[in-house]
Amino acid sequence: MSLIKEFTKGFVKENPVFIMALGLCPTLAVSSSVQNAIGMGFAATFVLIFSNIIISLIKGFIPSKIRIPAYIVVIASFVTIVDMVMHAFLPPLHKSLGLFIPLIVVNCIILGRAEAFASKNNVLKSFVDGLGMGLGFTLALVVIATIREILGAGQFFGINVLPKSYIEKPMLVAILAPGAFLIMGLLMGLMNIAKKKK
Amino acid sequence: MEFVGRIFTMAIAAIFVQNFVLARFLGLCPYIGVSKKLDSALGMGMAVIFVMTMASTFTWMIQSFILIPLKLEFLQTIAFILTIASLVQLVEMIIQKTAPALYKALGVYLPLITTNCAVLGVSILNIQSNYSFIEAIFNGFFAGLGFTLVLALMAGIRERLDKAEVPASMKGMPIAMITAGLMALAFLGFAGLKF
Amino acid sequence: MKYYIKLGLILLLITSVASGILALLNNKTQPIIEENQRKEAEQARKEVLPEATVFEEVTTPDFSYYIGKNADNQIVGYTFVASKFGYSSEVKTMVGVNPDLTIKKIKIISQSETPGLGANCMKPDFAPKFEGLKLEKLKVDKDGGDIKSITGATITTRTVTNSIKEALEKLMNILPKNNIFEEKSAEEVSR
Repeated sequence: MSLIKEFTKGFVKENPVFIMALGLCPTLAVSSSVQNAIGMGFAATFVLIFSNIIISLIKGFIPSKIRIPAYIVVIASFVTIVDMVMHAFLPPLHKSLGLFIPLIVVNCIILGRAEAFASKNNVLKSFVDGLGMGLGFTLALVVIATIREILGAGQFFGINVLPKSYIEKPMLVAILAPGAFLIMGLLMGLMNIAKKKK
Repeated sequence: MEFVGRIFTMAIAAIFVQNFVLARFLGLCPYIGVSKKLDSALGMGMAVIFVMTMASTFTWMIQSFILIPLKLEFLQTIAFILTIASLVQLVEMIIQKTAPALYKALGVYLPLITTNCAVLGVSILNIQSNYSFIEAIFNGFFAGLGFTLVLALMAGIRERLDKAEVPASMKGMPIAMITAGLMALAFLGFAGLKF
Repeated sequence: MKYYIKLGLILLLITSVASGILALLNNKTQPIIEENQRKEAEQARKEVLPEATVFEEVTTPDFSYYIGKNADNQIVGYTFVASKFGYSSEVKTMVGVNPDLTIKKIKIISQSETPGLGANCMKPDFAPKFEGLKLEKLKVDKDGGDIKSITGATITTRTVTNSIKEALEKLMNILPKNNIFEEKSAEEVSR
């Protein structure tokens, strides 16, 4: 596959969230605001890119039997790096994302790409794959967050976009847990319809 | 007596008020993946309860006896996830030897317990909430129980859904999500439950 | 057997390299994180006790608080952090009290309650409800007090109220023991 195709496949055709249903936990949890969605998306993309690169580099040295624990150590290290850097330089974002920053390590997308791609391809391709998948993940998060934040708080990125009367009594369920599931279900249904039409 | 009261409150919180799946969004991947049939859901639930309880135990000990004294708290993520991965390997071997049918039924979802956010999640939450050793173990157990409860409920509903007339584009994942959403809505009613 | 040892060593090598890199990064970021936290706490103290120019920390095994003094070295009040688990998170409130132990001002410094419900405790109309209150008045309306609960968030309101009440009680118990009352408060001196 050409390098461009490797990059763009993560956006729609093989979107990790909507098509492959990976990385659901953080998706539903941080998509209550666009700011959190972007923060998490970039953090996860960072981890994904560098894990892919490192794993692709050392794939020759890792015996197959211990490859999963080895991948986990690499991924966990980058997650810890993101955690430390965010805590020091972006404390409010670190507080909002909370528990879900260390949970990036069990984001099935990252381990999934390590196993399915980075362990079998060269560094450049792995980098591009990581970038594409990461951005696709971020895109999915932002789409969901936009819907939830506008419906649930009348805001986008903290800025009021709906009339004051709506903001006083918004559709609160959208930013609460049930809303996340319901909106996700509807979006996935829409995706299926879109896939069929092609 | 006060201790029993505290444990009871913890159970209500972990299972109902702040259910790990429906309120905290932890444990979703296996939740969607294994909840299609009731018996495999229950089997998975048992395995998860065991892993979560054991994980809570060992991660608490590692935090208290190794990470804190040696000022290595920043290694928490690596240490915890490696512990969990090892525990899951162990559970896999045990199930393979003692219940091969269950082992086959769970298939690839068994090693996936490692990436179950609920297991790592509860380990970290125990530390963040400053739980004592016993409290941590109980919390791990109850969180697993809550996960299993919701998994079983979901499986029961999905077995029925399979026979219902669902629009083609909503079949599978989408309707499962909607179901989860309705369940989450119901569980929201537990807010304020106090004894 | 030798094979397994080799596997273990490779894993150990990877983990050691990772730990080493993380340790280095930790050394760089820890001081920044601690400084941020220190600054945040200092700023919160200043907000709830604006007349104080200097804060002295007093730590006891059960409770810690700060004495706020002005430029003339007179006591203008005390600050402490009230903390209690609410609906879905630990709710921490910085409380400033006058020398006569009525509440001067409060500021909720950390919470992760339900957005749109409990999280409305961060809105500007919540904190003022506590100003000027004495210990006995620190009760939610549902418990017979003056503090009106946030709509749909009785738990969070009760948590904040009770946490302040309990912490204030601790302060009241400790103050006489530390002979703080021997130092004249700013009010007494100006009489």
